[in-house]
Amino acid sequence: MFKRKRSTQDFDEEMRAHLALEADELKSEGLSDEEARRRARVAFGNTQTAHERFYLNSRPEWLAWLDNLGRDLKYALRQLARHPGFTLTATLTLALGIGANTAIFTVIQSVLLAPLPYANPGRLTLLETHWTDSGHTAPRMTGPDAVDVRTQAKGLQAVSLFAGGNEGVQLRDHATYTEVTWVDENFARVFNLWPIAGRLFGDAESHRAALVSEKFARDNFGGAQAALGQMLHIESETIQIVGVVGGGFDYPGKTDVWEAISLKPDSTSRTAFNYRAVALLAADTSFKQAQAELDGLSQRLQTLYPADNRAKIIEVVPLADALTGSARPTLLLLWGTVGIILLIACVNVTHLQLVRAMERQREIAIAKALGAGRWQVMRPVMIESLLLAAMGGVAGVLLAVPAVRILVAMAPRDLPRAAEIQLNVWVLAFTVGIAALTALAASIFPALRAARVEAAEALKHDASRGVTRRGAARLRDSLVIAEVAATFVLAIGAGLLLRTMARLMAQDLGYQARQLLVVDTDNPAHTDDDYRRVLQQNEIMLAELRAIPGVERAAGVMGLPTGPYGSNGYYTTRGGLPIDPAHQPWAIFTVASPGYFETMQIPMMRGRDFSSADTYFNPFVAIVSESLAKQSFGDVDPIGKQIQCGLDSDKWMTVIGVVGDLRQDSPADKPGPALYMPMPQHPVFANQIHIVLRTRVAPLSIMNAVRARIVHINPLIAMKFTTMDAMVSDSITVQRFRAVLISLFAAAGLLLAMLGVYGTTAYSVAQRTVEIGIRMAFGADRSIILGAILRHAAALACSGIVVGLALSLLLVRLVAAMLVDVHPIDPLSMSAAAVLLLLTALAASSAPAWKATHVNPIEALRAE
Amino acid sequence: MTTQPSSDDRIALLQGTLDLLILKTLVLGPQHGQGIARSIQRQSEEVFFVDHGSLYLALQRLEERTWISAEWGVSENNRKARFYRLTRKGREQLVQKTSEWQRLTRAMGLVLGEEKA
Repeated sequence: MFKRKRSTQDFDEEMRAHLALEADELKSEGLSDEEARRRARVAFGNTQTAHERFYLNSRPEWLAWLDNLGRDLKYALRQLARHPGFTLTATLTLALGIGANTAIFTVIQSVLLAPLPYANPGRLTLLETHWTDSGHTAPRMTGPDAVDVRTQAKGLQAVSLFAGGNEGVQLRDHATYTEVTWVDENFARVFNLWPIAGRLFGDAESHRAALVSEKFARDNFGGAQAALGQMLHIESETIQIVGVVGGGFDYPGKTDVWEAISLKPDSTSRTAFNYRAVALLAADTSFKQAQAELDGLSQRLQTLYPADNRAKIIEVVPLADALTGSARPTLLLLWGTVGIILLIACVNVTHLQLVRAMERQREIAIAKALGAGRWQVMRPVMIESLLLAAMGGVAGVLLAVPAVRILVAMAPRDLPRAAEIQLNVWVLAFTVGIAALTALAASIFPALRAARVEAAEALKHDASRGVTRRGAARLRDSLVIAEVAATFVLAIGAGLLLRTMARLMAQDLGYQARQLLVVDTDNPAHTDDDYRRVLQQNEIMLAELRAIPGVERAAGVMGLPTGPYGSNGYYTTRGGLPIDPAHQPWAIFTVASPGYFETMQIPMMRGRDFSSADTYFNPFVAIVSESLAKQSFGDVDPIGKQIQCGLDSDKWMTVIGVVGDLRQDSPADKPGPALYMPMPQHPVFANQIHIVLRTRVAPLSIMNAVRARIVHINPLIAMKFTTMDAMVSDSITVQRFRAVLISLFAAAGLLLAMLGVYGTTAYSVAQRTVEIGIRMAFGADRSIILGAILRHAAALACSGIVVGLALSLLLVRLVAAMLVDVHPIDPLSMSAAAVLLLLTALAASSAPAWKATHVNPIEALRAE
Repeated sequence: MTTQPSSDDRIALLQGTLDLLILKTLVLGPQHGQGIARSIQRQSEEVFFVDHGSLYLALQRLEERTWISAEWGVSENNRKARFYRLTRKGREQLVQKTSEWQRLTRAMGLVLGEEKA
């Protein structure tokens, strides 16, 4: 019945005809004209009703449904407008919950869920090396292994080797730090790249041709066409730009320059993991099939090269997982947290709704007495909730937009795909989804309660007269307990992460980070002569820098703590402790100029520092850290012992000193074995070093003076300035990001829980006004009433804390991996959270409690 | 009806019986709504009280089911009125409903008669 058959006018006309005919007939029975017409109308009954029934009956059902919905919405809007306090609180609460969820989901969607912005995102894979004996996995490949995969694996359509990092790139008149990646010609095949200008390079152009990003071309040459044919100098090689890559493509990292290397890798060792490898799966191959093929291939390689390839398996990992794997735990933690926030928000709104429902009980009872069905009394509650959720959702999205921007700004710099983060259709769909869920969750209890109202009972027991329904009070109490429990879990999480943060900030790094200026320098060098020149220039440079007013000491180093360079590996000793072949001794390798330890204030425990006498032509020397000394020499004095590592030469070095341990990667790192070597004896590391300057003045204030001296020595040295403090701080951004966000969310949770406790106490006090009045009229002491109310709030908070404690013991495993030097079951965090919540509950209930003690008995009773 | 004195003897029409009465009335020929109401009342010896709202609702329902059809015409005293007539489908329904009704009343009579006895 979607088509209306008759118009209302037609029906009207029929009614008029009916009345006329009836009147005619009555007149013929002897009545006067007027009387006949009157009686006809009376006989017909209510014309309006007939109309209405005709109208309803002849309308399509969905239209009738919409009509009802419209009426209900109007009613709900009027109701909300009449209770602005309730509406505002509920909307803001929901906006907070929905906004936080939308913001975090925006990040999660863009980083973890959206397909990579490359061609064939589902078929891109990173090749990794896994050792079945140690369980260790490295996201790297050796050259020969990768070549075997490329030539033998049929499930991989294209395999490309690459390597690279931040490099000084010398252009015609200046130098710039740029992400440079060496890629073979297959790279363009894997990613299906097409240059927007110029061409791709071929295998024959190894180390002679490069592709650059559109951005790099624009920034340095003014445009894509202008960049073509230009020369770049990278590590003293002269390279011509043959093509420009558009579309914002910047894999890996934020690469601007892709330099050609040969398909035949320079490194031919099966134990040197000098490369990374990406591959494109063949169109009809799944990751599983590709892995099965590589398993077989890895087995063959293990048989062919039993020593080098022992227990080595080459694995395919979806590129998206490889890119975002590191961010996953943090983002999921945040998602869980905002989920709890939303839950608390829902509980709060449920609670507010319940209070409103109590006030409405009479109205509902009357509606029921007049014959309204279950659904009819539930509907307004649910529609009101829907409306609130919709308003909360809109406000939430408005909140989420700046929140996402702040999140991205705060996020660790290595957050993958940060540039892609934005609100989009998926996020909005998610928001609509959670808003709807919220509406349902927040209205289900109040609606059911409304449906259960017994008309007669409710009318007899006026809730506002102090006869409370036990069930209702219990429900409200359990909501508050749930809220406190959820907040407690958040507070514990925040406590643990904050304690971790505090530990990290107070960590003894093994060096003194304050008052250190750091200059990242890249001095172009390629031949032995170049390196000799660089070494000389470094020496002159350090001497000149020491002369700048405000500079106390200066030194150069390859392998600065928290810095991007550095090396590590196995070493051997002569006269040391016996070596377990399964656990070869391992250390961090650092190459430093004389004066490095003094500059960094790394304590010299024994022996001497490097000196100008430790040149390339004199006997090789080394300094070891305390851990290394203990690891390899036990209690024997290591000085004078021989040590060897494969950093750049096989020469044996004599240990001349022992220095204190330090935390290399970040304050979260453990102090470990380190091997220091003098720069003049390892000249190939002299071109890319950090210069550290201990200053008496604010470190960055002498930046221009430093720059001027260095440019004066060699204008082609690329430079980047920072401070050691900033580097250390950057190295713990992930931890800080987590701690700050979780604390923010815990604070939001606390605020909501406070509102919840306040709401329930205020409501029960208001309801019990008469009872309190009677008690006081009979001489009850104020302190007794105050005590009773506060005791109730404290009881609720304590129950919530107990439940929260149980929950947090279950959930704490999830954050255990994110803690540094803090036990997951941390009595301090727990008691702090408990005290905080208890105080919050008492504070929230004290205002209504105070109000209760000032009830005037006479007025309270007269209010009847 | 106005001519009808208020009386407790009147019986509100059972759901569904009105449809049958309308169909029966229309066997005699096309009739308008007011005529149908009068006719039912008269033929039931003023026992049935026809609520006009219900009547037009029923007419509409029957029309939708195509048991009756309607068109505008002129009444015997020259007034414009909407005349309803029985369709072929309506005639079939009348036969079927009548036999259903007779079975029902017979069964009711048997049950009630037995109890009385």
